[in-house]
Amino acid sequence: MKTLILGFDSFDPAVFEEMAGRSQLPNLEKFNQQGGYSKLEVCSPPQTEVSWTSIATGADPGGHGIFDFVHRDPATYVPYVSILPTRRSAVGEQFVPPYTAVTLFEAAADMGYPATALWWPAMFPARPALPVNTLPGLGTPDIRGKLGVGTLLTSDDVVLKKTTVVKLSAAGRDRFTALLPGPQTKGREGPQTINLPLSLDVIDQRLARLTIGSQQLDLKLGEWSDIVELRFKGGLLLNVHAITRFIATCLDGAIRVYVLPLQIHPLHSPWHYASSGSFSKKIWKDVGPYLTLGWPQDTTGLEDGCINDDQFLGLCQSIFDQRIRILYYLMDDFDEGVLASIFDDLDRVQHMFFHARMDIVQEWYQRLDRFVGDIRTRVDGWTGKYRLLILSDHGFSDFRKKVHLNRWLRDNGYLHLQNGGTDLSGVDWSQTRAYAVGLNSIYLNVAGREGQGIVSADQVEPLLAEIKTKLLDWKDGSQASIMQKIRLKHETYSGPYTRFGPDLVVGYAPGYRASSETGLGKIPATVLETNTDHWGADHCMDSEVVPGVIFANRDLRDFGGISFRDIPFLAIGKHLDQSNVKPPSQMVGEGQKDLEERLKGLGYL
Amino acid sequence: MNFFARAHRKNAGNQPIIIVSGLPRSGTSMMMRMLAEGGLSIVTDEIRRPDDDNPNGYFELEVVRQLKEGNVTWLKDANGKVVKVISSLLEYLPPEHQYKIIFMERDSRETLASQKKMLDHRGETYRMSDEEMEQQFLRHLAAIKPWLVRQPNMEVLYVKYNVLLAEPGPSCAQIAEFLNFPLDQARMLAVPDKQLYRNRSMQEN
Repeated sequence: MKTLILGFDSFDPAVFEEMAGRSQLPNLEKFNQQGGYSKLEVCSPPQTEVSWTSIATGADPGGHGIFDFVHRDPATYVPYVSILPTRRSAVGEQFVPPYTAVTLFEAAADMGYPATALWWPAMFPARPALPVNTLPGLGTPDIRGKLGVGTLLTSDDVVLKKTTVVKLSAAGRDRFTALLPGPQTKGREGPQTINLPLSLDVIDQRLARLTIGSQQLDLKLGEWSDIVELRFKGGLLLNVHAITRFIATCLDGAIRVYVLPLQIHPLHSPWHYASSGSFSKKIWKDVGPYLTLGWPQDTTGLEDGCINDDQFLGLCQSIFDQRIRILYYLMDDFDEGVLASIFDDLDRVQHMFFHARMDIVQEWYQRLDRFVGDIRTRVDGWTGKYRLLILSDHGFSDFRKKVHLNRWLRDNGYLHLQNGGTDLSGVDWSQTRAYAVGLNSIYLNVAGREGQGIVSADQVEPLLAEIKTKLLDWKDGSQASIMQKIRLKHETYSGPYTRFGPDLVVGYAPGYRASSETGLGKIPATVLETNTDHWGADHCMDSEVVPGVIFANRDLRDFGGISFRDIPFLAIGKHLDQSNVKPPSQMVGEGQKDLEERLKGLGYL
Repeated sequence: MNFFARAHRKNAGNQPIIIVSGLPRSGTSMMMRMLAEGGLSIVTDEIRRPDDDNPNGYFELEVVRQLKEGNVTWLKDANGKVVKVISSLLEYLPPEHQYKIIFMERDSRETLASQKKMLDHRGETYRMSDEEMEQQFLRHLAAIKPWLVRQPNMEVLYVKYNVLLAEPGPSCAQIAEFLNFPLDQARMLAVPDKQLYRNRSMQEN
């Protein structure tokens, strides 16, 4: 077995087909001409971490347990990030793997083949016991154990939505100092932030010299530094290593230097970052430094105005280039097994530019197409049979309006607030029958399941039907439907974790998506809000709105529609979930009797 | 049988079972005969004798009809040999074997016309119209292809009956490559009988 999988996060079939029709994606179009292209049915909801996990396991969320980016603790209603769960142990709070279902990589390893997954979501922390090489993708935390925000060092007084702001103190002519906040340690008086002193000398309007620790870096205006290794000293024996990149964005008047989120250093990680440890270190040493955060393309920095479009795109380009170098390095020694790598820059670019700058988005499609051409040239030299799969976890759509779903539930009498309540902590649970947490999830306040549940077992089905009907009837002022499809848990999911999933999977129509506030269980004052963010496009709609793609070096036409459940079979020749492989006699239905009658008449049965 | 074919047979225990499949009257018997001429062993009991519908024989095995009932023990001796199994019974082949399936495809109207003629010869009645029956067969074929392509133990080669008749050379070469077997293609080429096909088509239409 020899299989190469390229994951193009968010690669959209409509954009592909339109550009291919104009001969702008010649390398990918070749797959289409040979029957090796299909839209890919993706799981519900079409969220990155859910979908890539479903692709890896061939199972829907009921089979692996990741239902949404945000889950909630039913006892307390407190939301938490589903792909970064922790568990208390004797040595304190530890990250634990977000799922345990068998992946195609483990199955390949089980068959005796080497398996490698690069940047695949929900693979942090590493599972050292498994014989799979990993560099984890989405869900890998920063050095603080969070999803990661950057730091703006500035001489101005500014307040930003998410980014940490640190004031630069004047320390002489054109010289500034600051403390860069790093990881936290547990002190006697609660968590203590370890800071790293730095100084900045502004040489001229285009150059500054940053001194941090024992290092000096020259920062050219608007250019990203290389990856910088930092060491935070938390005491005599405690050193926390991190990596980041700096960029000076203003050296004329107000001084602004932006620092990417502080990230795990693969050579000195406090957690099981990768599998095996020596694998990640070898790549660092042989290929060069690489960013480790699960979401390294800093959309928050762009959204908050800390970096501009070009600087953001430059960062994406450098991440893309380094991942290609790492892949090619591994391909040089790739004789058998499975080698997979996710490229997620397109997803971030589409989030920020799909709504207004399709020229930028299309450039990225062409960049990926050229990369595919280069890959084809390399694999053409391989001897023997091999499989090449290129796939996406979902497509993309405009995000024009934010839906504050908890406000809708409140306005329709399903959720009741205490006086002044603005989030789930302010909900009157004694009167609340339904609430939303996550980007596609509604839960009923079920008695015996939720901490203060009131919906009895016999009320569940009628209540679900009622909410579903009302949501589907809900129109925007322009009479556009806000919902594409509302799915019931037991109709959508199968597998041992189904009971933990949301009671309703909310599938938004094109142009609509749950607000970030809804994701965290908040309840703003309005039900719909026009989206004016830079983040103007998304994929957390209904799965039918944003199908993915698959390209393969084999004919896919006989499949009659390919689903995420097929990917393990296509990759390693083995089904991990058989639920979509129904025997023909079950598919034909009523006509089966007529067929059998004919066959008996002909003497074949 | 040539030397290479004999050598190949010695290793037959490790070989997949070769299945010729398709709808009844889609050219499965002709393909069985071609493979026999090509040097492969055919698993047949010859209980079903040649008749007007198949003057060259059916190459069938009676017990195949009991696949659905779970009668599969006979398959253990079929490695490297050829068995005819109509398409609606493929799903009952046990998963522990490897199969290479040559699936015959023929224009559905021709297939139906040939079936009706055969039903007449057998004194059977048919209550469904051709259009209804054609729809059922098309539904069956639409269901079986996606199922076959998802079977890890089955490799399938689709062979078009009309193409095979018109120009058997390329199809024979393709079959030999698919089976990875040194078939005697010259002997295979002599099997497709265009005259018989033309005569039948005229009668059936």
